[in-house]
Amino acid sequence: MLKEIKVYRDLMGANEEWAQKTRDVLKEKNITMVNIIGSPGAGKTALLEKTHALLATDTRFAVLEGDVETTRDAERLAPLNIPVSQLLTDGACHLEAKLVHYALLDLPLNDLDMVIVENVGNLVCPAEFDIGEKAKIAVLSVTEGEDKALKYPLLFREAEAVVVSKTDLLPHIPFNLEACLAAIKQINAQTSIFTLSSLTGDGLEAWVQWLKSIR
Amino acid sequence: MLRLYHMYRGCMHEFSICQNLVDAIVNEVNAIQPLPKRLLKVHVALGHLRQIIPEYLQFAYEVLIKDTVAEGSELLVRTVPLEVKCRKCQWQGEIERQAFICKSCGSTELEMLTGMELYLENLEIEVEDAEGN
Repeated sequence: MLKEIKVYRDLMGANEEWAQKTRDVLKEKNITMVNIIGSPGAGKTALLEKTHALLATDTRFAVLEGDVETTRDAERLAPLNIPVSQLLTDGACHLEAKLVHYALLDLPLNDLDMVIVENVGNLVCPAEFDIGEKAKIAVLSVTEGEDKALKYPLLFREAEAVVVSKTDLLPHIPFNLEACLAAIKQINAQTSIFTLSSLTGDGLEAWVQWLKSIR
Repeated sequence: MLRLYHMYRGCMHEFSICQNLVDAIVNEVNAIQPLPKRLLKVHVALGHLRQIIPEYLQFAYEVLIKDTVAEGSELLVRTVPLEVKCRKCQWQGEIERQAFICKSCGSTELEMLTGMELYLENLEIEVEDAEGN
C-alpha cells in the first residue's frame, strides 16, 4: 500500500539555529557583525587592511578570516594588532554558521564593537548560508565583468552594501562602470554602493562611514 | 596567537544541504509508526533565487543516501518561481532573477513572496496493509 506523508522541514534549519545563537550573543554584547563576500582576488583582504586605519579610530573590531586552506590572509592582517582568527573550511566553498559561532565565542567579546567576517572567495555558496550577520557586503572588483550582479543575483539581492573595488585600474581597462552600477541596481535598487580603491585610498572614507553607521 | 578552526566537510554547498536533507528524511521515516516497508519518493521545494543546481543536489543525494533508510528512493525537486509584490502599484507576479523590477509600473520596491524555498515537502512510502502485505 502506498501512502503520502506531508512534512515541512526547512533544510537550512540546523544552520539557522546556529546563526540565531550567534545573533543572540551579538545582541547581548552589543556587537555588529558583517559578512564580506566576493570572488577570489576581488580585494577583500586589501579592503580590510585599508579599512582598519579609518575604522579603528573609534570602533574596536576583530576579523574572522575564512579560507579554504591557508592562513595567509590572517597573517596579512596580523600587523594591525586587532584580534584575527582564521577559519578553515578544508575544501568547502563557504562558511557555515556553526564554525563562525565557535570562533566568535573565543573572541574578546567584551572589548569589541564590531566583527568583520571575510568569507571564502566565492560569489555563489556563501550567499546561501546565513552566519548570523547584520549585513552581507558584496565586493566586486573592476577587473571582473560588469555583469557580475546579473550572474550572481542572490548575493547582490541580499547585500546591504556593494563595494566596487580597484577603481584605480579604471583608466587602464575596458570596464564600463556605469553598466556595472546599473546591473547592481537592477538586482537591488536599495543597496548602498561604494566605488573605491584600496591602493590609493580613494572612496574609502564613505565606505567606512557607512560601516560605522550600521552600528 | 592565531587561532585556527577547521570545517571538516569538504564539499560543494549542495552536499552540505543534501546532508541536511538526508538527516531530515531519516528522522521523519523513523518517526512513522509502524515503520514503512520502503521509502519511494522524496519531494523537495527549491526556490528559483537559490543558487542550488538540481543536478548537483541529485548527485549528492545518490551518494549520501547509501546505507540509510532512504537508499533506493527517488528525489523529486519542485522549482518554486520567483514571485514578488510591488509596494507601489500592488502588482503581483513572477519576475526573472536578473531584473527586480515591477512588470507593471517599473518600481524597484518589491516584496519577495516566493523564491527562497528550501524544504522537504513530502515523502511517498510503502506501508504494510491490513493483511500484512
